[in-house]
Amino acid sequence: MRLRLTERRPSRADLRVFAGYCLAAGVYIAIGVIVTDFLLSVWVGMAYVLVTAWAIPMAVRRFF
Amino acid sequence: MGDPDGSQALLLSWAAHDLEPYAFQRHLNLKVAFVPLLIGSYAPDMMTKWFVYGIHLGPWDLKASDPAQFHRGWPGFGFTHSLIYGVAIALIFWKVFDSKLWAVSFLIGQWAHALTDTGDTVGTMLLFPWTHHFYLGAWAYAGQTGRITDAAAYFSGLGSMWDLVWMIYGFYCWRVLTSAYFDGCIYRADTFWPWLNRWVPRGALLTLYRAAFFYGSSRWIAWTIWAHVIHHYPYDLSWGGPHWVHAAHP
Repeated sequence: MRLRLTERRPSRADLRVFAGYCLAAGVYIAIGVIVTDFLLSVWVGMAYVLVTAWAIPMAVRRFF
Repeated sequence: MGDPDGSQALLLSWAAHDLEPYAFQRHLNLKVAFVPLLIGSYAPDMMTKWFVYGIHLGPWDLKASDPAQFHRGWPGFGFTHSLIYGVAIALIFWKVFDSKLWAVSFLIGQWAHALTDTGDTVGTMLLFPWTHHFYLGAWAYAGQTGRITDAAAYFSGLGSMWDLVWMIYGFYCWRVLTSAYFDGCIYRADTFWPWLNRWVPRGALLTLYRAAFFYGSSRWIAWTIWAHVIHHYPYDLSWGGPHWVHAAHP
């Protein structure tokens, strides 16, 4: 089966999503460098990305 | 029992085991299911890593007296890093839960972990019950020194470069992280996702799918900054390094 893997460049929407994840990653990294325990748990990592990359953007879209 | 170093978090390996599944996913597409692939990649360390570094549990301090032996050896839990362990769990998925897809996916993830960990100085008992350790000795195994020194050593040696390879390859394969790929492949390949979608919105599922890549790459950057910008641990990319830490051997 041929999937949509043929585009050579990311679309504007892809880049916008990537920028959001980069922003979330920047905060995660800053916290982790200061409090290394924050980096140790995969559950904390997953909860963090769920909140910052999905819940907050969804709430912002819904209320503003 | 040894002295724990204080962390009570669920401890997993460094970044390679978070990132490798995305590379396999890129090449295997609908032939694998991502969730068991990731579980397989995490499985060997799930039961053991906390006891390698030690935890405080109320009044008890729990830590292996010989962490390397406990983690990779026999007697110990080294069999979790063997090929036959992957086969055994895969057979459970196949015969008990009637899912050949989950069985194969788990097997690929677990074997990738077992093979990746042959890169350090302790290696893995790949062909358990034969207890011979297969190892390349490319980077120092320093789990016995505690998580802080272990992190500093790992992110100063070739192990971190190995992680970096997977991270760069993951970004090169950026399409596997897109919404279209999730809909067209990840979601379709495995009935787990539609089942979970009954309670969890599709956007959250997409974020969860991307989470291990986010976690692995962010953690790699954070530990690298912590080790080399904040604490100035020296890089030693020579074979078997860093040589400033006492490396365990089988």
